[in-house]
Formats: sequence, structure tokens, C-alpha cells
Amino acid sequence: MTIRQDNRLLDGAPMLPLRCHQCGTRVQVRKSSWHQTSIQWDKEAVDACLERRASTPGGGPNGDQFPACEALRQTIRQAVLDGAIPVPDDGL
Amino acid sequence: MTAVESEHDDVRAIEAEAAPTRFARGWHCLGLSSGFKDGKPHTVNAFGQKLVVFQSGDGKLNVLDAYCRHMGGDLSQGTVKGNEIACPFHDWRWGGDGKCKSIPYSRRVPLRARTAAWTTMDQDGLLFVWNDPEGNPPPADVTIPRIEGATRDDWTDWVWSETIVHTNCREVVDNVVDMAHFFYVHYSFPTYFKNIFEGHTATQIMKGMGRPDARPPAKDGEPQMTGNTSVASYHGPSFMVDDLTYHYTNMEIKSVLINAHYPIDAHSFVLHSGIIVQRSDALEGDAADTMARKLGDFILRGFDQDIQIWKNKTRIDNPLLCEEDGPVYQLRRWYEQFYVDVADVTPEMVERFEYELDTTRPVEAWRKEVEDNLARRAEGQPA
Repeated sequence: MTIRQDNRLLDGAPMLPLRCHQCGTRVQVRKSSWHQTSIQWDKEAVDACLERRASTPGGGPNGDQFPACEALRQTIRQAVLDGAIPVPDDGL
Repeated sequence: MTAVESEHDDVRAIEAEAAPTRFARGWHCLGLSSGFKDGKPHTVNAFGQKLVVFQSGDGKLNVLDAYCRHMGGDLSQGTVKGNEIACPFHDWRWGGDGKCKSIPYSRRVPLRARTAAWTTMDQDGLLFVWNDPEGNPPPADVTIPRIEGATRDDWTDWVWSETIVHTNCREVVDNVVDMAHFFYVHYSFPTYFKNIFEGHTATQIMKGMGRPDARPPAKDGEPQMTGNTSVASYHGPSFMVDDLTYHYTNMEIKSVLINAHYPIDAHSFVLHSGIIVQRSDALEGDAADTMARKLGDFILRGFDQDIQIWKNKTRIDNPLLCEEDGPVYQLRRWYEQFYVDVADVTPEMVERFEYELDTTRPVEAWRKEVEDNLARRAEGQPA
């Protein structure tokens, strides 16, 4: 099957590059609203993430999945407040 | 919300390639292993073929192509004899490794007397088969995680069910990202939702509240459910483990839910649901078993709601998504890795992608912080 592009990326805001203030890891970020955040990593970014390297697996059958990098979350939050990552404000 | 004026009035066409004729590479659960341990051969229609599942005398569960390479007899109608399955047509004996071991009326077995055998795994009470169109064994790092509660006395036994669904199995996988359908189809109200796709796993983390309009209030003396926390991962293309905790005003109930399937052919699949519940002070003795059965029924009702949608909908490769929808395209990019040769798996199919929706911080709080930030900047202070 052909891999298709998300219509929201074609017609709306693109993913934007952002460097984590903690370790300089570069990812692609997009927000569709104040509440929503998308992050695209590549292998280099995953390997470089300090929090991930320091993390230990959680409990339960799905505990091996690294849930999130808090430093990156803070970086994105600051980028939003600074206007570096735009947030469509539809007046909701 | 108002509709945005379209640039032009073209009708949006639904596009859909034919469902793939090859079947996903990965571990597939065939159900409770105990069901196959009765000394008889079992017929399983999977991966576009007829398979025979049988337990050999050594206790191992084996999966072979059901059709005997001699004259095409159906081995799943045969008899288990020692470590072999005997064909009902001429009694040819086939081992779990796919080789013909003996022909009772012949002095020797002819060359090339070998049929297709699937690698099996009997784990946590479940039988898995490894499907790979390229014929390679499962890599060491492609595994199904252990489910601790499945083998422990302080958890219930599996409450298990199977349903045949007449559509392509991509529909069930799509549910992993479909936030909005949980509200409209399953009457739950997620306040936090996250997807993570990475390697061969696709995860959905959800924290939700029951919809008060869809659930009657608790009777006097019964605990009121306040919400649930769910961490669910597909490990490969077809086996999802959901670590699911129900929160009540005065207790928590821990459960593990399985949502698994295997394709019968390109247009039908067998959908499995399984659940175990932890016994606790709040759920002693039979109460945990009753709870497991109730949750099992609740899950089946959820499946029935999905099936009703699936059997009437059309396949769509170009869903038209709004910003509030989940990452359908990114999920399908992940899912595609199981339908191409290992050599053709591209980085974009397996690279980590996160999609998070967190409604716990009100928009007003965000706005206020941005305004304060701008005001500080206007006064020449660092933001």
C-alpha cells in the first residue's frame, strides 16, 4: 500500500524543527491546539535523548515503552509561549 | 464550529486500494492454548490457508498446513498418533517440524515430503504462531511481553471470547488512534490521550471518565466508578495488551485486557478478547471472577458496537481528518512495516512518533500565561 501524507500536514501547519534545551536533540513538533502536541523523532534523536538513556522500564506488560521526555515537554511548552511553535487559536 | 469555505466545490473522492493479499509478518494469537490440548487436531482458517493445530505426545503445540502433501487429505480431520498427526486419507504421519516421519504401508518416505510448519509459542495460557511471508524465524527482539497476572493465583483465569468479523483487519487496528470514536461509539470520555509508535509497537495511553449520561449512578452502598487509566500496546500487527485500571471512590481494580486478531483471509478475521482481573481486599473470592465476567461482557458490547460500524462502512485509504482526530496516517505508516519484506522496512515506518492530547490544563490557563509572557516582554523583562 502507498504511504499517504496526512491531509492536515498538506493543508495546515507543517511539523517544525525544535531542539531540546536539555540535550540539543532535534525533533519535529506540531500543535493543532493548546491541548494537542505531535512529536516526530528520528533514530539519531532517540539515541541522543538523555532522559531516555537514563530511564528504566516501568512495570506491567507495556512498561518497556518510554512514555515521554519531560525536558522536551518543557522545551515545547516554552517554544509555544515564545511563539516559536504556533498554536491555531480558533476562539474555543 | 462553522464549516470553512471550500476553495472549490470538487467532491471529495474516497480512495481505497484492494486489501493486501499478503498477511502481516508477526506473532498472532490463536486463542487459549488449553483449548488445543485435548489430544485432537483442530482446524484453524488463517493467513488465507487451512491450518491444523495439534498437541503432540511430547506436550508441544504444533501448527501445520492442513493439507497432506500426498493426496491433499485434510490433516485437521485426522488423528494424533504419538508425536505426529496422521492423515485420515492414507495415514501418512507428519511431525510438528513439517516433515513426513513415516508412511505405515511404505518402506520409505519419498524425497521432499515436507509441508509448511509455523513456529509456535505457548505463553501465559495463550497459543501464538509466527507468520512471515518470507519464511524467516522470529527475530529475538520481536517478542510478546509476559503478562504476569495470567499465571498468578491472585488473578482470575482468562475470560476469553472469539468472534468472526467480515472485513479486513486494518479496521480493528485503526481504533488505536481513533479518540473521537471512544466518545461516540463506546460512551467514554477521555481527558488524556496519547499514541506512541516506535519499532514494532504502537501504544495508546488513555485516562478517561465514564460519561455520566451513559452510565447510571451507583446504587446506595456500591462504589462509584470515577474513571480509568489504560496503557495499551500492540506488540506487532495483531496482539494488543491493555494494562487497565478502574478507579472507584474507595478502591482500584487492576485488569489486563487482550485485544487480538488473526486474518482468515483479506476480507475476514477472527477477533479475540480476553480479560483477567486481580483479586484484592475489595474483590475477594468469587467477586473478582464476577467482575472479570462483567468486564468481559462490557468489552464484548464494545466490540459489537465496532462490528456494527465495520460491517457497514467502506475501506478508505484517504480519510479526511480534522485537527481533533488522532494520527490515522501515522498509524498506517507504522502498520505498513508488517506488509513489506524486512529489507523494505523504511525508517519512517519504525521511527518514534508521539501524539498527545492533554485536556487537564484549561485553555484559559494557557492564554493567561501567554498574555503574562507578552506583558513582561513589553516591559522589557525577560519572558
